[in-house]
Amino acid sequence: MYDAIRERSREILESDLAYNQDGLGRDRQLVRLAALLHDVGHGPFSHAAEELLPQINGGDGKYKHEQYSAAIVRSQLKDVIENHPSNANYGFKADDIASLLEGSSRAKQALFWRDLIDGQMDADRMDYLLRDSYHIGVQYGRFDLDRVIQTIVAIRFEDDGSIRVGITDGGFHAAEALVLARYFMFTQVYFHKTRVAYDVHLRGALKEILPAGVFPKPTPAELSEYLRWDDWRVLGLLSDGKGGEHGQRLRTRNHFRNIYSSPEVSKLADLDELKVVKEQLGGLVAAEEPASKSWYKTGTPDIRVVSQTKGPSPLSKYSSVLANLKANNQVLLYVYPEQVEQARKKVSEVVKK
Amino acid sequence: MSTDIERIGVLGYLVQRAPSGWVGRTTLMKHCYFLQELREAHLGYSFSLYSYGPFDSAVLSDLGEGEALGVLREEVISYPSGYGYQISCLLDPEQIAEVGGELLERYQRDIDWVVQEFQNYSAADLELLSTLVYADREALAAGEEISMAELSRRVKEVKPRFTNDYILRQAESLDRRNLLSAVV
Repeated sequence: MYDAIRERSREILESDLAYNQDGLGRDRQLVRLAALLHDVGHGPFSHAAEELLPQINGGDGKYKHEQYSAAIVRSQLKDVIENHPSNANYGFKADDIASLLEGSSRAKQALFWRDLIDGQMDADRMDYLLRDSYHIGVQYGRFDLDRVIQTIVAIRFEDDGSIRVGITDGGFHAAEALVLARYFMFTQVYFHKTRVAYDVHLRGALKEILPAGVFPKPTPAELSEYLRWDDWRVLGLLSDGKGGEHGQRLRTRNHFRNIYSSPEVSKLADLDELKVVKEQLGGLVAAEEPASKSWYKTGTPDIRVVSQTKGPSPLSKYSSVLANLKANNQVLLYVYPEQVEQARKKVSEVVKK
Repeated sequence: MSTDIERIGVLGYLVQRAPSGWVGRTTLMKHCYFLQELREAHLGYSFSLYSYGPFDSAVLSDLGEGEALGVLREEVISYPSGYGYQISCLLDPEQIAEVGGELLERYQRDIDWVVQEFQNYSAADLELLSTLVYADREALAAGEEISMAELSRRVKEVKPRFTNDYILRQAESLDRRNLLSAVV
């Protein structure tokens, strides 16, 4: 992707981002390293565990796995990066890679390439859709990756001068398929009611297992301990009977049951119905999982498309399908399997068929 | 209403407060950033820096959810040189107050302040101003005290298309309003 953009958009990269030949060669390697390392900060079972990352001291919200990735690059991986024989050609500091990963001004003009690491058309997204489809045995996540790469470019926006990764109009159907692949993978796989139930149990079990119910922080004092938490350790503990009730449900595959789902595109009136159902169920509700909280949520895509005859347009101007695609804000309610019948009866009393 | 829905109410109010009654995506994103960073409004967004300034995809997710709920509407407006987004609010002020709940009540005056301070800036200027604030807060977090020239130099490296003079002038305009923390 980097090479395709460099070849097709060299004029923009040189004039707007002050790149020269050497700079583009250096940042190619920097972006490769950042792409390779961007997810090393994931906890066990990746996104399922993200909610158990601790609060930031004095800050707003919790740590994110990207902050762990940057911390690991700056500490555990510092020596291997800075003293690798190949680095004699580049002189990278671990901080150069970490700055690009976490989005710091120290990354300078290389920040442009963050779109390829964490953006609408990032390499990770294109990889996981195809990889997940293959391993799960579904076709929902498939799209024409080759065509996307053949048409990917840097696009300048004349009005505000900003530059972003986009595609030429010859690739708009491939980009459309990429967005639809995300949509279908979300509705059919990532936000599937049973898969989501196991996220609930994994989170619940980890909360029981972890000291104080949260992972260690990405600080020098706690990072080594964080790295000891991997899939193997958690699976071993679960196998040993740890994880409380949720651990037991994972071991026996006796998961919570989905009792009510709001529409995939819920209006305010649908949320009112959800509220009524929740009140009716009362203590029977075992879990509530909104699509808006999911890491895989599809959001509002903004992929720029450019043609030789006119300025940039959003992909939704080319694709009537995407123009009508709304964000999925469905909410799933779960109950204990032992109380399904009781819950179903209660729901039917307030929800018309 | 849940906190997530209340956040959509905050976006709706922000849009309603715009003099034109609508905002673009850049304005929405950067105003949310200013709200969190300059007014310490705890909205729960997690901004990081891109070449186009501080950005969090969660703002766009909220926008998408706001559209799905029928609270917000986004239209694409074509210009001779490109396109923009026109985001408007579909609810009246009373309804938005209900959707925004306690979160909106808590930060209403801060939103008014942000809109008042930054309503006359173009998308390009909002990108630059928010990048200046971001670089300033990075320096503060690192315990650095930096000069105005150093702050401008750092931002110039992210945004080479702006002239040194222009970046410096914008940095000074923020400093005059006491909006920079690490600059001495």
